[in-house]
Amino acid sequence: MIDTYKRLMNLEEPPPAKKAKGFFTDTSLCIGCKACEVACKQWNQLPADGFAITGNSYDNTGHLGATTWRHVQFIEQAKANGTRQEQRWLMMSDVCKHCANAACLEACPTGALIRTEFDTVYVQQDICNGCGFCVPACPFGVIDRAPKGGQFEAGTAHKCTLCYDRLKDDMTPACAKSCPTASIQFGDVDELRTRARQRLGELKERGESKARLYGMPEGEEAAEVGPLHAFFLLLDEPKAYNLPEVPRLPRKTMAERYGWSAAVGVGFALIGALVFGRR
Amino acid sequence: MIRNPSSSRENFPAPPAGEGQGGGYYDYPVVRRPVWTWEVPTYFWLGGMAAGAYVTASLAQNFGSDEDRRVAAGGFYVAAAALAPCAPLLIADLGRPERFHHMLRVFKPLSPMNLGAWTLAGFTPIAVARAASHAAGIGLLRGPLGALARLVPTRLAELSGCVLGLTLAGYSGVLLAATNIPLWAKSKLLGGLFMASALASGSAAVTLQAAQRGVPDATLHRLAMLESAASIGEMAMLTGYLVQSGKTARPLTSGRFAAPFWLGAVGGGTLFPFLLHQFARRGNGRSRRSLSSVAAMCTIAGALALRWSIFEAGKVSSEDQAASFELSTD
Repeated sequence: MIDTYKRLMNLEEPPPAKKAKGFFTDTSLCIGCKACEVACKQWNQLPADGFAITGNSYDNTGHLGATTWRHVQFIEQAKANGTRQEQRWLMMSDVCKHCANAACLEACPTGALIRTEFDTVYVQQDICNGCGFCVPACPFGVIDRAPKGGQFEAGTAHKCTLCYDRLKDDMTPACAKSCPTASIQFGDVDELRTRARQRLGELKERGESKARLYGMPEGEEAAEVGPLHAFFLLLDEPKAYNLPEVPRLPRKTMAERYGWSAAVGVGFALIGALVFGRR
Repeated sequence: MIRNPSSSRENFPAPPAGEGQGGGYYDYPVVRRPVWTWEVPTYFWLGGMAAGAYVTASLAQNFGSDEDRRVAAGGFYVAAAALAPCAPLLIADLGRPERFHHMLRVFKPLSPMNLGAWTLAGFTPIAVARAASHAAGIGLLRGPLGALARLVPTRLAELSGCVLGLTLAGYSGVLLAATNIPLWAKSKLLGGLFMASALASGSAAVTLQAAQRGVPDATLHRLAMLESAASIGEMAMLTGYLVQSGKTARPLTSGRFAAPFWLGAVGGGTLFPFLLHQFARRGNGRSRRSLSSVAAMCTIAGALALRWSIFEAGKVSSEDQAASFELSTD
């Protein structure tokens, strides 16, 4: 009977765990070519998002979304330094962070969002019923629901799969494969972290004093959502890249919220018993 | 050519990077806009009212006088009727409605959405069964269905229904708060606020149906007291919610949603009916019943205004870059 239930509800045995895979996106190497965006769209057969011009530097993509799983940001910084003008152009290829404690995965009521054998976060398209709860749950604004009645997988939630299909065949994800400057590096998360620390040291030596890593186990940004399996080397504060300083995991405060709710409910029941009982 | 910073600002239609309202990337939002539509606040309203009515009716059954029990039992009908559109509303809001049963594919109370789906699935049949058993008891429901309804263990249905009902009334605010939308998540009291409002509207619905059936003044007085107690709780929660939210609450307290919030939810839906109930105590009989009915209708409408305005203002809040950064450093 349990077997019948599992078959009916599409409950499968998970495959055996493999080494954790992830991305190390080194923004100091990004040249803003958007090859990652294009390769991602092509491999994952994602539709174009229209031809809007934002007027914000070369960023006409705007935001990660249901059909945009890599997004290159262009941050133009100009400031006066004494009598000289200093101009700096930061570029960063944003992507789903595949958090160790993923808010989307915890919010998902159907079990459509799962952790794969590669320790990545993945939406099972045949399970998702498009409830939309993962969308506001994500502290990074990554996952989104494709519009109902649209052309592309209408009504279900989408985000970067870390090319789960390619990983299954021991291939590198499309964005990392296409990156011409090794700004996007793919591999075992442990090894990538070692590489990231080394690279940070090099940049600090060269005088990039504001350089920092975002999403490492020791970082304060990992306090709630855990270490990110797609982490970054940044050249400025996280805010400059629209990254929250400490991304929140809704679960952390849920008990307190339920507590207030329960207190009101129990208080009402007690008052009710008194009001009706006092005759 | 390197432009100086002040002139470059004039040439950009949007604030340059690092100079958005929150010091982030242009003026782009940090989080995604919720995709939910009107079905969700409507469902929260009806589900909360059903729960409040069921709890009020159950309290009267177990602690009240014979008159209280007779009149308040109408709350079971209110609960069953208000629950009827709940599941359809929830299903309509899904991106893939034909997969609604996937909600019950796993039991995952960590997800408020999953907890809510199970609670609704459990509470609806209990409320319908309790209403049917009452109908059978007073001879409204006859035949084989009536015989079946008489088998319902009323005490057990009331106890389990109250537990599930209170869960249904309380989880909706926690669900909105268990996100990263600043207006919903900043304060810890949204769950308590929705709970209080649900209980106020539920007891108001019992008052309303009682007033139409020639309720004795003593019972009406007790129902109005219960509703007023819930309204006081709601005002307390609301005050705490606004204080804790601070600047984050601006999309709700000013702008497009200020009128439905202040006039609909706060003034018309809480303060006015509270005062009207106090005023109605001076009268008796028919005049008291009609004043109480008006107050109850205002409370019920106010509960919808509260949920709708907080829900819609949350969408505006999702675009508030500064509020998102503030939330992340709390």
